[in-house]
Amino acid sequence: MGRITLNDIRKRFGTTEVIHGVDLEVGEGELVVFVGPSGCGKSTLLRLIAGLDQPTSGTIEIDGRDVTRVSAADRGLAMVFQSYALYPHMTVQQNLSFGLQNTKMARDEVGRRVSEAARMLEIEPLLERRPTQLSGGQRQRVAIGRAIVREPAAFLLDEPLSNLDAELRVTMRAELAQLHDRLTTTMIYVTHDQVEAMTLADRIVVLRHGRIEQVATPLDLFNRPANLFVAGFIGAPNMNLFTATAQDGQAALPGGLAVPVPRNGPCTIGIRPQHLHPAEADASALEGRVTLVEALGTETVVHFRTADGTDVITVMAGQPGIRLGDTIRLAPDPGQIHLFDADGDRMDNNV
Amino acid sequence: MAALPAKLGVVVTAPLVLLARAVDPPLRWWQRMAGQGGMAAVFLLPNLAIFGVFVLFPLALNFVYSTTAGTDILLQGRSFVGGAQYARLLECRDYLDPLTCREDTFWTAAANTLVFVVLQVTMMVVVSTITALILNREIRARGFFRAVFFFPVLLSPVVVGLIWRWILQRQGLLNLVMVSLGLEPEVWLNDRTYAFAATIGVSVWAHMGFYTLILLAGLQAIPKDLYEAAEMDGTRPARVFWRITLPLLGPNLAVVLVLALIRGVQIFDEVYVLTGGGPGTSTLYLTQYIYEVGFASVLRNPGLAAAASILMGLVLVVLTLCQLWLSRRGEAKGAK
Repeated sequence: MGRITLNDIRKRFGTTEVIHGVDLEVGEGELVVFVGPSGCGKSTLLRLIAGLDQPTSGTIEIDGRDVTRVSAADRGLAMVFQSYALYPHMTVQQNLSFGLQNTKMARDEVGRRVSEAARMLEIEPLLERRPTQLSGGQRQRVAIGRAIVREPAAFLLDEPLSNLDAELRVTMRAELAQLHDRLTTTMIYVTHDQVEAMTLADRIVVLRHGRIEQVATPLDLFNRPANLFVAGFIGAPNMNLFTATAQDGQAALPGGLAVPVPRNGPCTIGIRPQHLHPAEADASALEGRVTLVEALGTETVVHFRTADGTDVITVMAGQPGIRLGDTIRLAPDPGQIHLFDADGDRMDNNV
Repeated sequence: MAALPAKLGVVVTAPLVLLARAVDPPLRWWQRMAGQGGMAAVFLLPNLAIFGVFVLFPLALNFVYSTTAGTDILLQGRSFVGGAQYARLLECRDYLDPLTCREDTFWTAAANTLVFVVLQVTMMVVVSTITALILNREIRARGFFRAVFFFPVLLSPVVVGLIWRWILQRQGLLNLVMVSLGLEPEVWLNDRTYAFAATIGVSVWAHMGFYTLILLAGLQAIPKDLYEAAEMDGTRPARVFWRITLPLLGPNLAVVLVLALIRGVQIFDEVYVLTGGGPGTSTLYLTQYIYEVGFASVLRNPGLAAAASILMGLVLVVLTLCQLWLSRRGEAKGAK
C-alpha cells in the first residue's frame, strides 16, 4: 500500500506552465522529500498528488490505480498543512474525529482510532482543548494526528515544521522520523530546508522551476550532485564553484592549482568547504587573505579571498586559531572534486 | 520617472506639513500645562463637544419634554406633568389587544414594528448570508455583482421609497408588466398584506448590500486551508457549511443581527415614502407614530412623542445589551 507513480505531470495556471513534465515513482513505505527554492513547484506537485489541484496533463497512480480524475477524498491520502488547518471552533477530539464522521464510520471505531492516535502522539490530556489553547508544537501533533486517524495509504506533509521555532523543529523532526519508522506508511514531505530533507528522507527529489533536477538518497546528492544547481543547493556552507577553461585535460584553479578534466572547454570546478585542507609548503595551492571567521566551536567557517578576487569558503575542524587578515594556503582532497560541463551537468571523472 | 511622484508627494503634503509645524508649539505648551494624561482629554474634546451638542443634549432635552404637556414647541410654554405621558402610553385594559389601550395607535405601531422586525431581520440575515456565499465563489463577473448588490445602500432611503412606489403603485411598472402578460393587475400598496410585505422586501433590498459586505469579509477571513482539509476528508458541502462556515461566521452574523435589529426598529424613511403607514395603520411603525404625534398631526403632542421615543430607545438599549452579551459569550467560548 502506498506506491505513488507520476507520469509526465504538467500543470498550467493560465498561460504559465509551472510543472513541466514530472515523472516520479515513490515506493511503498518510502519517505520522499521534495526540496527546492521558493516557487520551484514542490507544493504544487504535492497538491496535485493530493487531488486539491488537477494536472493539465499526465497521470497519477496510487498502487497501480489511475487516480488522476479521482476526488481528493477518494485517493486514500491524508495531508498535513503548513498552517495545520485545524478547525478553530472544535476541540482537539472533534478535530481528530471530524473527518472520520464523514465516512459514517461506527462510533466505536472513531473513538478507538482517535484515542490510539492521541496516545501515539501524547496529546491525550489535550483532547478537550481548542487549537487556540495549544502551543505550536501541540497544534502540529494534532494536525499529524488528524492525518493518522484516517489510516491513509500515504501521508502528504506540506512544510509541516516551518511554523515552529528552531528548537522545536529539531525535536519534531526527530519525532516525525520515529513516527515514519513506526507506521511504515509512505510519506511525501515538502520542505525548503535542506537539513530537514537530508535528515528525514529515504530519497530526496530536488526541484527547480517545475522540473526535477535530481532524485537520489541524501548522501548520493551530497557526494554526486548531478548538476551545478544541486551542487549549490545541497550542503552548508555552499559548495565553492570556480569557472575555468580546460586545456590538454587540465583546468587551473585560482592560484594555479591544476585539476585533471576529462573534456576540454569551459567547465566549473566544485569543491565543498569541508574538503579543503592546508597545502604542503612547496605545492601549488588556493591562497588568500581571510575576510571572515565564523567560530562555531566544533568547527570554524573561514571565508577568504584569493589574489584574483575569488571568494572561497572553507570549514575547519575545531578552533584552528585563524584570524581576520591571515593568509592561508589550502588544497582540495583529490577525490572530492566535482566537475561540471558548460551546461552545468556533472562530468564523470576519475581524479 | 520615479522622481516625479516623489516630488508630487512633497507638494501634496506641504500644506499638511506647514499646518503641523504651526500647531506644534501651542500643543507643546498645552502638554506642559495639562500633562500627558490631560492631552488625551484635549484631543477628545472637539469630538466630544459635537457629540454632546447633537446627541447628549437632545437626549436630555427629549427626556425633559417627555415630562411636559401642551402643544407649544417651546419649553417655557409647556407645563410639567411628571410621568403622565408615560402612563398615558402604557394605559391598557388588555395588553394583548391594542384597541383596548388609551393610545391604541402607539400599540398598533409597536405590534407592527415587532412583527416587521422579526420577519425583516430573519429575511435580512438569510438573504445576505446566501448572497455573500454566492459572491464569495469564483463566479463570472463577481466584481460586477458585488457592486450591483451594494448599490442600493448608496441610495437615499427616500429615493428607494420612490423607486419602489413607482414600481408597485396602481399604474406602476409591475402592474404594467402583469397586464402585458395577460394577468389581472393588483393594488399592491392598498392591500394590507401586500403593503406590509412590500415594506419588508424593500427595506431588505435597500440594506442587504451592507450586511452582505460584512458577511463577505467574514467569509474571506476563513482560511482556505480549512476547506482543503475538509475536502481531503471528503466532507459533503452541506456539512462543510453547517460545521465549518457557519460557526466561523458566527461573530460576523452576530454583528449583522445587532445592526439589522437596531435599524429595523428605527425604520422610517422608505416606508413613509412608500406606503405612508397605510393602508389604514397596517404599515405604521413606531418611528412614524412618533413623528406624526410630535410634528405632523394637527394637535401635535411633543411630550407624548418624546415619551414614546424614550420607550423605544429603552427597547433598543435592551436589544443591544442582549446582543453584546451574546457575542461576548461567544468570544469567551471561542477563547476558552
